[in-house]
Amino acid sequence: MMNEVVWIKVKKTILVAMAVVVFVVILFPPMVLFLTSIKTELDALSFPPKWIFQPTLENYEHIFQFSPFMKYLLNSLIVASLNTGAVLILGSLAAYSLARFRFKGADNIAFWILSVRMMPPVAAIIPIYIIMRNLHLLDTPWSLVITYLTFNLPFAVWLMRSFFREIPREIEESALVDGCSDFSAFRKIALPLAAPGLAATGILTFIFSWNEFLFALILTGSKAVTLPVGIIGYMKETGINWGYMTAGGVLALIPVIVFTILVQKHLVKGLTMGAMK
Amino acid sequence: MELGRKVGHFFCLLKRKYVWLFFLAPAVAVLISIVVFPLAFSLILSFYDWNIIRAGGWSWAGINNYRTILFQDSYFRSSFKVTLFYLAGTVSVQFGLGLVVALILDQITRKIIGFLRTVLVLPITMTPVVVGIIWRLMYNPDLGMLNYFLSWFGFSPVNWTGMPGTALPSVMMADIWEWTPFVALILLAGLQSLPREPYEAALVDGASSWQTFCYITFPLLSPAMLVVLLIRVMDSFKTFDLIFVLTQGGPGMSTEILNYYTYRYGFKFFHLGYASALSWVLLVVVTIICMILIRILQSRGIYAKRT
Repeated sequence: MMNEVVWIKVKKTILVAMAVVVFVVILFPPMVLFLTSIKTELDALSFPPKWIFQPTLENYEHIFQFSPFMKYLLNSLIVASLNTGAVLILGSLAAYSLARFRFKGADNIAFWILSVRMMPPVAAIIPIYIIMRNLHLLDTPWSLVITYLTFNLPFAVWLMRSFFREIPREIEESALVDGCSDFSAFRKIALPLAAPGLAATGILTFIFSWNEFLFALILTGSKAVTLPVGIIGYMKETGINWGYMTAGGVLALIPVIVFTILVQKHLVKGLTMGAMK
Repeated sequence: MELGRKVGHFFCLLKRKYVWLFFLAPAVAVLISIVVFPLAFSLILSFYDWNIIRAGGWSWAGINNYRTILFQDSYFRSSFKVTLFYLAGTVSVQFGLGLVVALILDQITRKIIGFLRTVLVLPITMTPVVVGIIWRLMYNPDLGMLNYFLSWFGFSPVNWTGMPGTALPSVMMADIWEWTPFVALILLAGLQSLPREPYEAALVDGASSWQTFCYITFPLLSPAMLVVLLIRVMDSFKTFDLIFVLTQGGPGMSTEILNYYTYRYGFKFFHLGYASALSWVLLVVVTIICMILIRILQSRGIYAKRT
């Protein structure tokens, strides 16, 4: 009996130790990023790495003063917000239609929308680049706001469809009987009921837009450069400015981390587009 | 008066029948104009030769682009191999490690689940470019942490991303760091939603924990596993940011997956016709692999047509 108790304790301790190792492995690399960002150039370049040093914010001050970091930040903010707005409007309407109305081909349309999400972006980028060039939209936020719909809209339609499905149909049906039009049943009943899910969808959409790199790299040049492309700009032929790059990286991560924590409850559902709770 | 009512009734029926269309049409119209139309355009372009920076417009090439890709382009072949190696290596390791992490956390997290989850999800939503920067810092031959750790054990510094032999495994390791938590998170959610009864029955019957895992956990968890596999395979083909930041496809072509090869043809060499053909080959490969996975999923009732 005693032995068994000891064995269970040992097992527990081993499991906890393994979990701790996992979390150190996850947290250590981002911590190095953060530490490098608050080191002076001299400290950052020393080897072996310095663990005790005078922290400084000069890298953060410098990227705002001597590089257009503010512009990158604003561009990212504009692109991600406008894209999220468009995705929520278009996506919630389509998701509601697919979740609520019975019509021929509904499943095929839903499936087609899912398959768009699978497309490698590089397959679309060549024609989209040519089209944007002919529309004179290159290097404008609009080119990105529109292009990001290619992956965010299918994602949002699927995720919101699963949120709408969780609302009991009877509530809207009684509203329809009471003389509510379909649109007001959607706006006044389904939307408020699905609001937490829609908020989660919106936050994830925002994060995906904020993080996107390939389209931004190709479609922008100077005026509309977003954060990921801007930060990569600190990597020059002549060498990498680690201070700038790590400080920029940390700043780019802050909203993502805040949003991720906010949306955590819906993350499993969100990342699997509603396949799992 | 009577006629008026009938006409009104008719429109009412019409509205009821097609109201779904008003809700659905805007999104579908947008997707057609930003996905279907561009892809059709690139399909046409893939039958032409067109270099955007050279004078002269499109010239008809027939199926030459495709013939070159499939039968002559040795770079394509090597890139294809790198892609398959990358895909198989990263997805399998992420899957195995992720399953182990999920099983560990499932045993201990009940009380501290909130904190552990927060840590676990960080790499998943982190900006991929920043993940690349982090790992470029870790791999840096002169000041990186990895060489620092090696020096503890007396090893000489390694030029991780700079040598053909280590570059691809290095990129894959960063990818594994980034996405193993995703696998673990989904499988953990799957584990925690499993019914308790089969486990109680197994306990009563005196099954070993290995038997319990093989005959209860594994089959019950397989839907979650398939979802994870589908998403990882489909996203693995899209890997671009990590490669761009860490190696730019080099040294040589050692880390150039198809995605990156296509990008380089289009936007470094500006052979847009050839790049379009490459992107269509990639699209077909991805579609076939994903369709197979989706059919398997649908036969289990996930992403099913009728739910």
